[in-house]
Amino acid sequence: MLYRNPKSWQLGIARTITFIVTKDCQLACKYCYLVGKNISERMSFETAKKAIDYILGHEDKFREESVIFDFIGGEPFLEIDLIDQICDYLKTEMYRLNHHWFNSYRFSFSTNGINYHEKKVQDFIKKNASHVSIGITIDGTEKKHDMNRVYKLTERGSYKDVVKNIPLWLEQFPNAGTKVTVSSHDLPYIVESVLHLYSLGIHEVNINVVFEDVWQDGDNTIFEQQLIKLADIIINQGYYKDYACSFFSENIGKPMDREWDNNNWCGAGKMLSVDAAGNFYPCTRFAQYSLRDKKALIIGNVETGINENLLRPFLTLDRCTQSPEECLDCEVASGCAWCQGENYDAAQTNTIYQRATAICKMHKARVRANNYYWNKLFRKLELEGKRDEFEKNKKESNPTIC
Amino acid sequence: MVTKKTVGQVTEEEKNEIQQLFERRNGLNELAKILTPDNDALYQKLVKDMGETGTKFQNWWDRMSAKYQWDSAENGHWEINFETCEIYLITE
Amino acid sequence: MLEYLIIQLDDTSTSYCHYKIGKKERRLIPLEMLKAGIKFGMLENLMIQFVYPDYKLPDDYAEAIETIDHSKIVSSLCENEVLKAEADVIIFHEWTELSLAQLDEKKSYVLRTAKADLFDRYLFLKDVISKVMRLNIVITDVETFTEQDFEKYKQILHTLSEHIEKEYAAGKAPQFNILTDRMMLDKMNNCNAGASNITLAPNGKFYVCPAFYYENEEDSIGDLEHGLDIKNPQLYKLEFAPICRHCDAYQCKRCIWLNRKTTLEVNTPSHEQCVVAHLERNASRELSDNIRKHGTFMLEIDIKGIDYLDPFDKREEW
Repeated sequence: MLYRNPKSWQLGIARTITFIVTKDCQLACKYCYLVGKNISERMSFETAKKAIDYILGHEDKFREESVIFDFIGGEPFLEIDLIDQICDYLKTEMYRLNHHWFNSYRFSFSTNGINYHEKKVQDFIKKNASHVSIGITIDGTEKKHDMNRVYKLTERGSYKDVVKNIPLWLEQFPNAGTKVTVSSHDLPYIVESVLHLYSLGIHEVNINVVFEDVWQDGDNTIFEQQLIKLADIIINQGYYKDYACSFFSENIGKPMDREWDNNNWCGAGKMLSVDAAGNFYPCTRFAQYSLRDKKALIIGNVETGINENLLRPFLTLDRCTQSPEECLDCEVASGCAWCQGENYDAAQTNTIYQRATAICKMHKARVRANNYYWNKLFRKLELEGKRDEFEKNKKESNPTIC
Repeated sequence: MVTKKTVGQVTEEEKNEIQQLFERRNGLNELAKILTPDNDALYQKLVKDMGETGTKFQNWWDRMSAKYQWDSAENGHWEINFETCEIYLITE
Repeated sequence: MLEYLIIQLDDTSTSYCHYKIGKKERRLIPLEMLKAGIKFGMLENLMIQFVYPDYKLPDDYAEAIETIDHSKIVSSLCENEVLKAEADVIIFHEWTELSLAQLDEKKSYVLRTAKADLFDRYLFLKDVISKVMRLNIVITDVETFTEQDFEKYKQILHTLSEHIEKEYAAGKAPQFNILTDRMMLDKMNNCNAGASNITLAPNGKFYVCPAFYYENEEDSIGDLEHGLDIKNPQLYKLEFAPICRHCDAYQCKRCIWLNRKTTLEVNTPSHEQCVVAHLERNASRELSDNIRKHGTFMLEIDIKGIDYLDPFDKREEW
């Protein structure tokens, strides 16, 4: 049976509401930004119900046409019984209240894939077939994956336990993409990892370098070399026809106008996260378990609702106000991303208005490789007379990854 | 063998109408799996709604096919691509 | 650009703004520190404003203060009558004191008031406005305004506006911050703490304003020994305040401390702050129009009609 997993569903018109159902996970990934994971903070149904009652009861504050109910952890499927209960309540309440979201909702999951095959998870997927979207994180080859994605007690790699579920996942969600995160010591494995994911049948690889300040001298060079090598293989072996890798995007690496290109990159504040304590956050990255150096930025809770004043900075934040001059003057600024939570965590003061620039050299390396990719690909297509055909059918990845 | 052929296109507004009905129908079907008759009022509402939504859904296809005069086939059915508003004729 | 240095002479120095004095024990700034502060002001070419406690300072402090051109901010409760007579600004914390005070027509006064007292006793202000050179109202709980409070405040502004119009018709020009300031302004004229003024506290450290000192002594922006060290200094400037830079409620205090208290960002005002400022702006517009019925008045200042009270609601149009 096929399930729908449309890319970027209702992009820009859907509100994302995230339930942090547990802060526990089977794994202890070495790059995980969730520095405060634990086994004790599990959401109760009562808390989830209060959050839902508040959200659905304030339709005036949640006017977006569509909604994505996102479930994360830790590992969300550790709490599949709770999730099932939450989703049943959501469906029933949206319908009972004649809420406009009943006509446009999704349940979305980011999972490590370890218990994807289990009956309870599979039953849930079947029960909510037209509304479920699931992403499984797999980092590439066994070697690359197991470098980071290890079990928390034994430090054993999780690759084998995840990869066995990939065929089932792709059978159910043939258009599904995976999310890959690259840190400093993963750089030499980018090429083999992307190609390995393609070989597993994953056609969309959404990949990004971490925003945190982990980069070493020379990493940008390794990164650029890897991307150029990857570009050569994707083009020479024809992967570009049916596969996508988010490192290569036509729209990056251009200067940006201060007036016309002034939107914030990140959607924090337009999203809403709720955790086991019933606290609301502008995005999960502002919950305490995601922050290294700052206090959680709580914007309300399920009892008292959202403090709208605390959302004002998020909803008026623009690119130029938070960016240093070097970013505003940057000749290759477009596509250089940031995470509002990381900005907050890394800022010198308690502000979301100071853009972290740890990825500057990495972005510039990516732009150079990207230029190489598109110049090479377009020339090849033009020589073959296939440029128009490519434009019509080209496969796109989702460039925004949190 | 299943074949797919583009036979026409509807407007964005027309697509939005059927997409909303499609989403609603899916929502109702999945709600029906968990709603039991002991929740009488909601159950009655659901049963009525499923009938009405199904009718509206079929009416849309009837109206559009009459308006655009799409190709048809004996063992075929139409499908819509919500991203492009294109109508396909699927035959077996 | 920095223009002013505010020196809190003591931990019990009077509040002249939204904040409450967060310390009850006297702690006088050490004399050498005071002198160093004055020297800092001279070197940086800053105008110094001294904020006094209610008790009489030692003579050597008074001498040090007189070594520099300055302003004196003094509470109405200050026991030093000579100082009160010399003060540039007198701060009232109580309506009763204000009603009993001998007011000087050449002086500026600040009345710090809770909204409830203002709502009850605002009619008394008519008399005060007519007697002094300038009266500033500081509503100390502006962040608690409700929809009902907004309506009440609008009505109060209207009533006081009628009184000021009569004064203008009689050839006088009273200054009352929440109604007359906006009539004279063609650009933002805010508090500008952290951008054009900073505060030296009795511990020898610099703060964005006294409120930051009282809230958290650790929250300093430098000290006399090492100089200023303002982190993210741009965020105190108007250009880096997305709501305010689009706003024309030019008289708004744009209180940096209240911003941080209510929205957690120094550059973002609360809804309540914005609505109160816009009620004042709109009342100023009405007053300006009414004064013009009696003769030519500030024709170069055109306060436009608007359909919002919170510029945040118009953010899609920026």
